[in-house]
Amino acid sequence: MTRWNDGTDATASVSPDITDETNALPAKYFTDPAVHEMEKEKVFSRYWVYAGHANAIEEPGEYFTRTIGDRNVIVLRDKDREVRAFYNVCAHRGSKMVDDTPMTDPGSANGIRCPYHLWTYDLDGTLRSTPRSFETAGMNPDLEDEDVPKLDREDNGLMEIHLDSIGPLLFVNFDADPMPLEEQAGTLKEELESFPLEEYELARRYVSEVECNWKTFSGNYSECDHCQANHQDWIKGISLAESELVVDDHYWVLHYTHDEGVEAAESLIEGEARFYYFWPNFTLNMYGNADGYGTYIIDPIDEGRFQLIADYYFKDSELSEEEQEFVKLSRKLQEEDFELVERQYQGMKSGALAQGQLGPNEHTVHRLHRLAQEAYEA
Amino acid sequence: MSQRERRSFVVCEACDVSKEVDDPNEAVAFYRRHRSITGHDVAWGWADFDGLESSSEDDLASVIAGLEDRFEDGVPLGIVSAAMADAGRTIGETLEAIRSLRMDGELYEPRDDHIRVT
Repeated sequence: MTRWNDGTDATASVSPDITDETNALPAKYFTDPAVHEMEKEKVFSRYWVYAGHANAIEEPGEYFTRTIGDRNVIVLRDKDREVRAFYNVCAHRGSKMVDDTPMTDPGSANGIRCPYHLWTYDLDGTLRSTPRSFETAGMNPDLEDEDVPKLDREDNGLMEIHLDSIGPLLFVNFDADPMPLEEQAGTLKEELESFPLEEYELARRYVSEVECNWKTFSGNYSECDHCQANHQDWIKGISLAESELVVDDHYWVLHYTHDEGVEAAESLIEGEARFYYFWPNFTLNMYGNADGYGTYIIDPIDEGRFQLIADYYFKDSELSEEEQEFVKLSRKLQEEDFELVERQYQGMKSGALAQGQLGPNEHTVHRLHRLAQEAYEA
Repeated sequence: MSQRERRSFVVCEACDVSKEVDDPNEAVAFYRRHRSITGHDVAWGWADFDGLESSSEDDLASVIAGLEDRFEDGVPLGIVSAAMADAGRTIGETLEAIRSLRMDGELYEPRDDHIRVT
C-alpha cells in the first residue's frame, strides 16, 4: 500500500513476494544522505562492481583508474598478461600514486611509481625499488646504515583487490572474502560469455550527471511500463506486447523484439534486444537493431545525484553514419529518461511519500528494492 | 528568455552533454568528475553570477586581481574560469594556468577552491 508521511503511517519492509503486498523500498532510502554513506560500505564494498573493459588494456603495462565510492583503484595488465586491480595508494605513506586515467584514454607504464618519494612497484604489485634514502640512515644519528632493515618486496607491495571477469567485462570486489562472482552473476555469466563481446571495440563514451538517486534511475531502467507514454520514437519499431521480464537473484533482463532487426550475420542477437541489469549498478544493453552493445555504469555521486557512464561497443570504433544515428537515438532515450527520473525525484524529495507501491509487472523493480534492503540489513 | 535559459551551464562538446549550475564552483566539481571518467575538457556555455565581470583580457593574474575586491574570502575558481571563458579558455585550461601561478607563488588559496593574488 501507499504510505504517506501524514504523521500516522510507519513504513514496512519491501514485500517478500510481489504477488502478495507490493511495498516499495521506503522513500528515505532514496533521499537520506546517511544512506548514501551506508551504501558505500554495504553495497559498493561487498558486491562485485563493474570496473571496466579488458579491451581497453590489451598490452602489458596498460592501465586505467576507476573510482568506486571513496576508493580509487588501478586496473592494469601485468607482464604475464593477467589483469589485476590495486588500490591507487602507496604502501609508504598512503599517497595517491597515478592520476585519474579514464578507460577511454588508458595509460601505459612498466611499473607504478609514487611521485611523492619515488617508491616504485612492479606490475604484479610487489615493491621494485626505493630511493637510497630508504636504504641508508645517514641523517639519523641513532641508526647505522648496516642496521637499516631491507624492505620485503611483497610485504611492502600494493594492496590488491579481488578481480574477476565475465568475458571482457571486469569486476572488482573490496570485501576481504567475497562471494565468488559466479555466485553473484548466476546464469548471467554463462549467458553473456556465449556472445563474442570481446570482438567489439569501444566507440563512444557519454557521461551525464543526473539530479536523482542512482536507484531511481535503476528502477526506471528496469521496467518499460513508462515507454509507451515517454519513448514514442523508440517504441515505433518494438513489439512491446512480446516483451518479457526475467528475474534472477542478482540480475534481471528485459527482452524486446524489433520489427526489423539487423541483418549482419555476426550480430549478437538478430532482432532481439536484451537489457541486462546486474546488481548493484551495471547494465549491458544488446540492441536488436544494431550490431553492437552498450554498457551503463550508474555511479552515485551523493544521495541526490549520479553519473550515467554510457559506453557503446561496435565492430569498429569508427562508426558508420547509421551507427552514429543509432547512438544519437540512444542518447535521446537517455535524455527522456533523465527528465522522468528527475521529475520523480523532485516528488520524492518533497517528503510527502513515505513508501510507494509497485505494480504487478514491476517485478524487476521489486527485485532491485529487495536487493537494496537485503544489503542494508546484512 | 525562459527560466531554463537564464541558468548558467557548462558543456562537454565531446559528450554532447551540458550541466546547469547554481554555484560557480559546481562547474569546477563537474569538470573534475567528468575529466576523471572521460579525459575531456569542459567549457562554460553561459555564466551569470554576482560579482562576475565579463573580460576579454587573457592575463589570468590581472583578471583575478580585478575580481578580488568583490570576494573577500578569495575568488571562487568557478568565477575565475567563467571570467576567462570570454578569452576563449576552457575550465581545464584555466585551472591548469591557475595551478602554474600557484606553484610560482603568485597566488594562494585562503580556502578550498578560492584564490587570491599574493
